[in-house]
Amino acid sequence: MAMPDATQNKNLEGGGVRARVQRFGGYLAGMIMPNIGAFIAWGLITALFIPTGWIPNEKMAELVGPMITFLLPLLIGYTGGRMVHGQRGAVIGAIATMGVIVGSEVPMFLGAMLMGPLAAYLLKLLDEAIQDKVPSGFEMLIDNFSLGILGGGLALLGRQVIGPVVQEIVNWLGSGVDTLVENNVLPLASIFVEPAKVLFLNNAINQGVLTPLGAADVTDAGQSILFMVETNPGPGLGILLAYLFFGPRVMRPTVPGALIIHFLGGIHEIYFPYVLMKPRLILAAIAGGMSGLLTATILNAGLVSVPSPGSIFAYLAVTPKGGYFAVLAAITVATLVSFAVASALLGFGRGEKEETDKPVRPEDNVIVGT
Amino acid sequence: MPTINGSDVRKVVIACDAGMGSSVMVATTMKKKLKKYDVDVVHTPVNEIPGDSQVVLCHSGLAARAAGIAPNAVIVPFQVFMGDPAFAKVESAIKQGETLES
Repeated sequence: MAMPDATQNKNLEGGGVRARVQRFGGYLAGMIMPNIGAFIAWGLITALFIPTGWIPNEKMAELVGPMITFLLPLLIGYTGGRMVHGQRGAVIGAIATMGVIVGSEVPMFLGAMLMGPLAAYLLKLLDEAIQDKVPSGFEMLIDNFSLGILGGGLALLGRQVIGPVVQEIVNWLGSGVDTLVENNVLPLASIFVEPAKVLFLNNAINQGVLTPLGAADVTDAGQSILFMVETNPGPGLGILLAYLFFGPRVMRPTVPGALIIHFLGGIHEIYFPYVLMKPRLILAAIAGGMSGLLTATILNAGLVSVPSPGSIFAYLAVTPKGGYFAVLAAITVATLVSFAVASALLGFGRGEKEETDKPVRPEDNVIVGT
Repeated sequence: MPTINGSDVRKVVIACDAGMGSSVMVATTMKKKLKKYDVDVVHTPVNEIPGDSQVVLCHSGLAARAAGIAPNAVIVPFQVFMGDPAFAKVESAIKQGETLES
């Protein structure tokens, strides 16, 4: 990191850890986010054509397996490679990812997120090592064969060594998640998910961690609650509504627009500043998130793919047939609880006079590194 | 500390974590505001801010990363995604040719 200058210093104190976590999470999310459209295509096809779907169709349902086994991990490995070493990195990332896909019993999202960047990084080192030694006229020959030989080797290594290891890890993570869900302790995840979310780790947590785990979960159960952990628009909606009625008067006019962008547009970032301005409101987000997840756990709610962005429309689109009550209940409960707690924390609008003048600069109060 | 005169600004970069959500939203509003001054507005993930960027607008929670990735750019942090004074500050600096600094 470059040294911060004087005016930024105050904002950056203690932010080093957060910036590092954000950046690492940013890389993870950066492999997934550009491919969300493919997740949605797969989710829609799944919701429509599987035997329990809206219009079961065996022929169309044949798409479901290959898409999640091959297409999605290959896209992730490709994108991960591209982030490290451009187009050549993308190609070798996809080749290496193929090695962990084949023979695996679980969708290889984690393996793709590992192999894509790793293969690209190795190719980058190789390219840098030999670029000055290539005789003129042999560039294309050497470029193609260095990529092909290294990529082929990494695919073999993935098939033989890395794939089985990653599969063990994924199975282990999967059973860990199952244990959390079965013992009704998944709601405790909100205690760290919600604070991390408003520190702009939302994509890192959802796309970087929960989406790959959830997608693996879907292949077993047909739906996954993990897609609802970070994306539930309820907690943010409750906080914005509390601001609308009880927030500082200077802030209230900005809330209706934020409500629409948050709940309908699905850009949750819009509510983070409202929490950062009054950090105690994080308690409302946690309470909302936990109650939403508890509701979802009890009612056995789940989604077939990741609702991204976390808009109510995206939610409705990836809700499985017959799951609407459970999913909407989880959102509604989260909203009501978050609204009630946030309203109480805002003193129901009383005593806001002393606080109205100037919004506190959020970074001064935020606990970093949660 | 990087500084730039508003009249030299040809391009404003809006950055957010993924470069797909909030930055696109802010970029749309800034595009409308800055069109008449012939200033280009683009959005990007904070990890991929171009090294030669002149002015970068991003949320204060991401300012540290933005400054690390584009040390020569003027980083203008904002607090809220709509109606933040930082947006007006950038617009008026471009309009009046005032100096912008991180």
